[in-house]
Amino acid sequence: MMTARNRIFEIRNLAHSYNGRPVLLVDDLAFERGSITGLTGPNGSGKSTLLKLLGFALKPSQGEILFNGRVQVPYSRAVRSKVTLLTQEPYLLKRTVFDNIAYGLKIRNRSADLASHIREALDLVGLDFKEFSQRRWHELSGGEAQRVALAARLVLKPEVLLLDEPTASVDVKSAKLIRNASLQAKNTWGTTLIIASHDWHWLSEISDRQLHIFKGQVVSAGMENIIPGPWAPSDLPGLVERSLGNGAAIKAVPPPTPGMTALINIDHIHFKTCDTHDDSVDENHLTGMVTRLILERKTGDILITLSIHDIQLTFKFPSNTISNLELFPGKTITLCFSARHIEWI
Amino acid sequence: MDFLLSGFIKAIELLISGDSYTWSAVAATLKVSSISMLLSLGAGLPCGFILGYFNFRGKRALRTVLDTLLALPTVFIGLLVYAFISSKGPMGSFNLLFTLTGIAVGQTILAFPIVAAITASIIENIDPGLKLTLISLGAGKRNTILTCLWEVRYGILAAAVTAYGRVLTEVGISMMVGGNIKWHTRTMTTAIALETGKGMFSNGIALGLILILIAFTVNLSLSFLRKK
Repeated sequence: MMTARNRIFEIRNLAHSYNGRPVLLVDDLAFERGSITGLTGPNGSGKSTLLKLLGFALKPSQGEILFNGRVQVPYSRAVRSKVTLLTQEPYLLKRTVFDNIAYGLKIRNRSADLASHIREALDLVGLDFKEFSQRRWHELSGGEAQRVALAARLVLKPEVLLLDEPTASVDVKSAKLIRNASLQAKNTWGTTLIIASHDWHWLSEISDRQLHIFKGQVVSAGMENIIPGPWAPSDLPGLVERSLGNGAAIKAVPPPTPGMTALINIDHIHFKTCDTHDDSVDENHLTGMVTRLILERKTGDILITLSIHDIQLTFKFPSNTISNLELFPGKTITLCFSARHIEWI
Repeated sequence: MDFLLSGFIKAIELLISGDSYTWSAVAATLKVSSISMLLSLGAGLPCGFILGYFNFRGKRALRTVLDTLLALPTVFIGLLVYAFISSKGPMGSFNLLFTLTGIAVGQTILAFPIVAAITASIIENIDPGLKLTLISLGAGKRNTILTCLWEVRYGILAAAVTAYGRVLTEVGISMMVGGNIKWHTRTMTTAIALETGKGMFSNGIALGLILILIAFTVNLSLSFLRKK
């Protein structure tokens, strides 16, 4: 239960725009201290903007962000030593690895025992102090540069670590080390992690909750399936449909206003209870191929992704009951959900 | 072509023998160029930074004016400064005409737009990730600005070298404002012009060689700094 005291961030009536173009709209959102939050959503949905705002690197166009219960703005002292952001393409200062990691400590006048702090931070990201500390910024590979950038943040022992696609453009080894180091920060110092990533597997495994961001809005605090258009009027009265080819279609109740995006919550999709003889006009029956099975460690549920023509739908199933169903990637199954469960945003 | 060869030989003799006339022009040049570079860097760096870093109304117009000033001919600057500091001019009471300080004022006007315009361009082109990184690492406003400047130090050095090259080699301002007075305001470039006019090629070539040597030394020092 998130109480007012353990809320590290609170967002109120936030709206942000670039050159008058709205990119983010969040009415009310809070993050729990010491938790791991995953941010998912397509490119350009507003994840990076949200992280920059939470990192106080940007001032919101409207609304406010509270950190530890108080409204804060960029450069305010209360956040400067506590919240840090790692971007997908890190910028390393034009100096040695040692000086890059030491920068944050030096500006805080924490210059005592620098070498041992830097050695510890480099160890966390799997880089050898002797081999790397005196290398210059241009003598590193992409993965090494990302790990040095992470070390420069971890050395600060931050209260909040914001990670924007930290493993998107690095090699497998670096990605694993970055994932482990981030988690270690949480386990060692109680650092709150907010991670934007397309690595759904990783987020499902470690995060306490996931927020899906779509077109600048936080769609839900769970996983939702977005059903892209185009939607057209159905032959059935009072419904619209999204054609899947081969005569199949997804039915939905019409959106309040045209041009909205359709969503179906994973909890509303079933296949075990699906009655294939149900003639109800608003029941969707969709047959597709299982493409992915992921264990959600926090809940023990299995997330099943089904590919149906050009769209993918994900739904949940408790792991203890799934063994009887002989589910495996490549198997064709039918799922069902009501047209009335499709929401519009 | 013999006069060229004999000019080079004479030049080396003058340099080795420590000819006082030659070294007087060298000293005058180094003095005025140092003063003008200090002044133009002192004013040009902050102005360039403000123009490149901040967004404000009229910024584009200011950049256009600054870029136009890059093309100012030295004789025109010489004329303007002359008009201002001559006894009838608004700054006549400062008695700057035919002094090294007067030349330095003119050369500062020459170098300022170069330093400011190049600095502004360099700052404008700073990787947006730098500022984000500095804020993420906890830098305050002052540290962000100082670190941004440090990160583009090589670009700023290039701006300074470009301005220094212009100052070191200009003739118009030194001639018009300084008056090319022997032992007093005669710089290397005005001396070269005078000696060449008199047909004394060896002296002109000697001064030209020193000019190139100074430029080479400055660039070599900066190159050493870059490696460090």
